[in-house]
Amino acid sequence: METNMQLQAPAPGVGTDRRAVVDEVDLIPVRTYWQLVRQRFMQHRLAVIALVLLAVLVILAWTIPTLTGELYQKTSLDLIDQGPSLSAPLGYDHLGENTFVRLMRATQTSLTIGFAAVLIIVGIGVTLGSIAGYVGGLVDNLLMRLVDVVLSIPSFFFIVALVAFWGGGNVWVIIFAIGLAGWTTAARLVRAEFLRLREVDFVQAARALGASPRRIVLRHMLPMALAPILVAATLGIADSVVLEAALSFLGFGISPPEASLGNMLNNAQRYFYREPILMFYPGIMLILVVLCASFLGDGLRDALDPRQRIER
Amino acid sequence: MSEAATLAAEDVTAAARPETLVTVRDLSKHFEIRGGLFGVSRIGAVRAVDGVTFDIRRGETLGLVGESGCGKTTLGKVILRLIPATKGEVLFGGKGLFEARGDDLKAIRRNMQIIFQDPYSSLNPRMTVGEIVGEGPLVHGLTNRRAREELVRELLARVGLNQSHIHRYPHEFSGGQRQRIGIARALALNPEFVVCDEPVSALDVSIQSQVLNLLDDLQEQLGLTYLFIAHNLAVVEHISDRVGVMYLGRLVELADVEELYERPRHPYTVALLSAVPEPDPRRRKRRLVLKGDVPSPANPPSGCRFHTRCWLRERLGNPETCVTQDPALADTGGEHFAACHFAGEVVAEAAELGAAGARE
Amino acid sequence: MTDTLLRVRHLRTYFWTLDGIVKAVDGVNMDIGTGRTLGVVGESGCGKSITALSIMRLIERPGKIVEGSVDLDRTDLLKLSESEMREIRGNAISMIFQEPMTSLNPVFTTGNQIAEAIRLHADIGAREAEDRAVEMLRKVGIPDPERRARQYPHEMSGGMRQRVMIAMALSTYPQLLIADEPTTALDVTIQAQILELMKELREERRMSIMLITHDLGVIAEMADDVVVMYSGKVVETGDVFTIFERPHHPYTQGLLGSLPRIGQRRGRLRVIEGVVPNPLNLPKGCLFARRCPCVMPICEQTPPPFQEVHPGQVSRCWLTPAGTTPAVGMTAPADVAEAEAARMTITADSGRQSATAAQMGEVGR
Repeated sequence: METNMQLQAPAPGVGTDRRAVVDEVDLIPVRTYWQLVRQRFMQHRLAVIALVLLAVLVILAWTIPTLTGELYQKTSLDLIDQGPSLSAPLGYDHLGENTFVRLMRATQTSLTIGFAAVLIIVGIGVTLGSIAGYVGGLVDNLLMRLVDVVLSIPSFFFIVALVAFWGGGNVWVIIFAIGLAGWTTAARLVRAEFLRLREVDFVQAARALGASPRRIVLRHMLPMALAPILVAATLGIADSVVLEAALSFLGFGISPPEASLGNMLNNAQRYFYREPILMFYPGIMLILVVLCASFLGDGLRDALDPRQRIER
Repeated sequence: MSEAATLAAEDVTAAARPETLVTVRDLSKHFEIRGGLFGVSRIGAVRAVDGVTFDIRRGETLGLVGESGCGKTTLGKVILRLIPATKGEVLFGGKGLFEARGDDLKAIRRNMQIIFQDPYSSLNPRMTVGEIVGEGPLVHGLTNRRAREELVRELLARVGLNQSHIHRYPHEFSGGQRQRIGIARALALNPEFVVCDEPVSALDVSIQSQVLNLLDDLQEQLGLTYLFIAHNLAVVEHISDRVGVMYLGRLVELADVEELYERPRHPYTVALLSAVPEPDPRRRKRRLVLKGDVPSPANPPSGCRFHTRCWLRERLGNPETCVTQDPALADTGGEHFAACHFAGEVVAEAAELGAAGARE
Repeated sequence: MTDTLLRVRHLRTYFWTLDGIVKAVDGVNMDIGTGRTLGVVGESGCGKSITALSIMRLIERPGKIVEGSVDLDRTDLLKLSESEMREIRGNAISMIFQEPMTSLNPVFTTGNQIAEAIRLHADIGAREAEDRAVEMLRKVGIPDPERRARQYPHEMSGGMRQRVMIAMALSTYPQLLIADEPTTALDVTIQAQILELMKELREERRMSIMLITHDLGVIAEMADDVVVMYSGKVVETGDVFTIFERPHHPYTQGLLGSLPRIGQRRGRLRVIEGVVPNPLNLPKGCLFARRCPCVMPICEQTPPPFQEVHPGQVSRCWLTPAGTTPAVGMTAPADVAEAEAARMTITADSGRQSATAAQMGEVGR
């Protein structure tokens, strides 16, 4: 770095310019934080595979049902229990429905619930968590006691109760129920992060510069809290998908003719002795979605974790 | 000011003849330890800063030394109102800092900035150097992008950084360079007063001297006033005009740098100076080693807070006053303030012990 | 050296990172004499701690000891099996670290941990070991050791914890104590206590110490011999007086020159220009060339030899012992002569104010 030469001698013509001092910084490529994250993420092979697989699933789950329209709920008596064919790679079930198309529709429903519920969880969690963490004091204490109250209710029964109250079967009811029961962890996470960040030097520096609270939260604290939120959200997708499956399996969730992984499992279970393979498809899909989300979450955590930051 | 008279602590600030920029009066910061269901009931307090009074003159560097937990960093942050004070007041250019609201506060903030110890946590890792250094001007209304970039480039050159690095991120720089970025950020609003909170403690020796020289140059060029907080006595001696010594939340001694290092009038200062290992193998000195640890600031000793470890008290046969009476920071002559009942005896006793103090 | 306890030769420890290989320790040689204290100085990232961990064979992935030998009493530690090495660690060689809190187990009492360490290497009963633990605590100056032995690490102050660490490290009567920045996390008054303690114990035990620190004051206070490291290599070794009074390597001179000292007020500090080279992108010649005030063309081309410049003083620099042009066939351009002239003046100036002053950094004024 040629730095101290400039500062050593405000007067020009320093005696040392006979050689250029190499600036070490110039030897490093310019990389933003997110470029570094991407680089580290790419090192995590399982996470990359999970990401690709999840992307494929999402594409399939949205294109196939769109292309085939109402086919997923079309029953036809003459096709009952038929084996695989080109138009039905997984054959037909006991109602004569195209299992592959139905599976794709179910995946779509489950993923929709997973993503949307996580959005609600993150929305409520970040809002309440950041208020608690930034304001602190009594507000913080009240909000955290609210979290305790929500946490003290077993979440599954809470969701079942909400669904029963609003009426089951509707995707949005399920999403809201899962969201309302699940925001507490996210809120705690964000609060802890905000409490920590409030004392961090660069936040103090912004305060000393006269930055407004709004700017401090949006420009300095939220971007930093984003990393743990992102990890939690990814892992939350897996949880929500499993919750939906459990609800539908027990008959509180999505009911036929609409398809979801849970109710497909429920149906398959009834015909288990006649056609056990029907259990296999939604089961595998569920495992696949959950594993993908988990690996993705792991990979993100490793990539975002500042402790693993590779200097330079 | 009347010579040799023992002044009460409050009068210390009134005596300022060279222009006073910052006045600190009876400033305290107690961190409350709370408990209970809603965490509002008070169960104790850590007295990080406890009744500190002094002033900072325009254009000077006031060094502040002390060991960890003595409250020096807290004091720096309370003076900048980054942490609310429990008691007392801070006047900046005659105006009360704690009463200021809204635009008044913003205007004062502009004039007082801070440089942090840790070059890693003090810069937002998601922002470029340009955004970091330009944040102050942006917040204070310099919204024109081009003008801001111009200003940032100027500042980078001033602190000895390459202007082409304006779009780089903090993680690409070494510790010393990051510290320069932090300095540029502090200077962006053209402040009069800068609190330097251990600015070189985290840096390697060879980089430390670069940053100290930079701070010196900037002070000369821009007429800055520094409150320089550090635990390294050699660094503080090098950069300061006057030095204050803190112990357990109290200011125990305050004097011109030469006075303080050559004729310390507080037994704690003597011990501190004696404890510093000198980089000279021929001068392995006899140390005045203090016994025990620093007591907890949540439960400070009665009377003089140093009495539990004081070597002078021991030599004087453990007088009762030290335990019962809290010594005030008083002028021992020539604006050399010390908070010790036996300040007059310190120099002689230290010399007899062969410790620190009279080292020259 | 007549009586060498530990002899490190050609030690190389590399780290495989995402961006490439970092040669953290690159061909390090050092000797520690019986009963002597070797001070290892250098800035962060110079490889001083990695050298210590390599000696203890505590290097973990992605790092690896690539080459070299570490002879303790003629046994090469690098050739021992892991179980034989465990017998050495904490027994023949003990180590203390900068932050004692991380090296003490928070769920056991201090007495318990010391007793455990003793029993690991000595065949004695639990009661006896605990008595010895209390004895050790008393030895390191912990008041009321019986009570302290029943306390947990978090109930103690930093200085107290460091004493416990020392008690634990010394409980097995090691021949060599490796102290990695033992006082860096402590306040000066506590540092003074710990240094006094280490001196006393050293006298009593005739133990060898490898003292790693960046604090030249601590080195001057404690060390008999000094090793100066820079970017993974040893750049200069010698006894403590030689290093502080007649440093040969421009880096050593720069370090000593840039130090603010008590009693030396105001004025400008000498500086070493620039920063440590990126370990992933080291220069091909002398590693210090980019920052060196005496740099010559050869320095940027060929790594300098590690040559004895005075009896017992070895320096990795192209400058000759007297600080003149190297004997190697190089035509000396004008600036070499200049650098040489500057050097001559300082070698003549034999004050406590070390060396290079004149050339390091004073450029501007």
